[in-house]
Amino acid sequence: PQSAQVRISVEGMTCKSCVRNIEEHVGKQDGVQSVEVSLEDKEALICYEKAKTSATALRDLIDDMGFEASLVL
Amino acid sequence: RHEFSMEMTCEGCSNAATRVLTKAGGTDIVTDLASKKVLVTSDKSSDELLEILKKTGKAITYVGPVN
Repeated sequence: PQSAQVRISVEGMTCKSCVRNIEEHVGKQDGVQSVEVSLEDKEALICYEKAKTSATALRDLIDDMGFEASLVL
Repeated sequence: RHEFSMEMTCEGCSNAATRVLTKAGGTDIVTDLASKKVLVTSDKSSDELLEILKKTGKAITYVGPVN
């Protein structure tokens, strides 16, 4: 499957539980292959299947979680 | 005005709840980590607010209306 990678900057994470929460929640989404969230860099690195989801959909998802998410281009 | 109980372990979680409720047009948002309470004034129904809060990925329950 055609997969792609997106880096999303995530403002508003203060501790490990936020990191785990995002990794679990995003990880459950259809088409998401891997999620790595770094508290220090305030970034999420997500690999996903292009057919099933998109960078903007993943950004909106994190935004809906209550964090300030923006695509790192 | 509605009261919810939300699984909040840190300030980041309470900020996240405040942010999603603000984006949904909620006002006078109060979050209390100790009692895991979230209070918000909104013209939206409690079900709509519940759905919005559920998107944070946290366990949420509706406690009831607050006068």
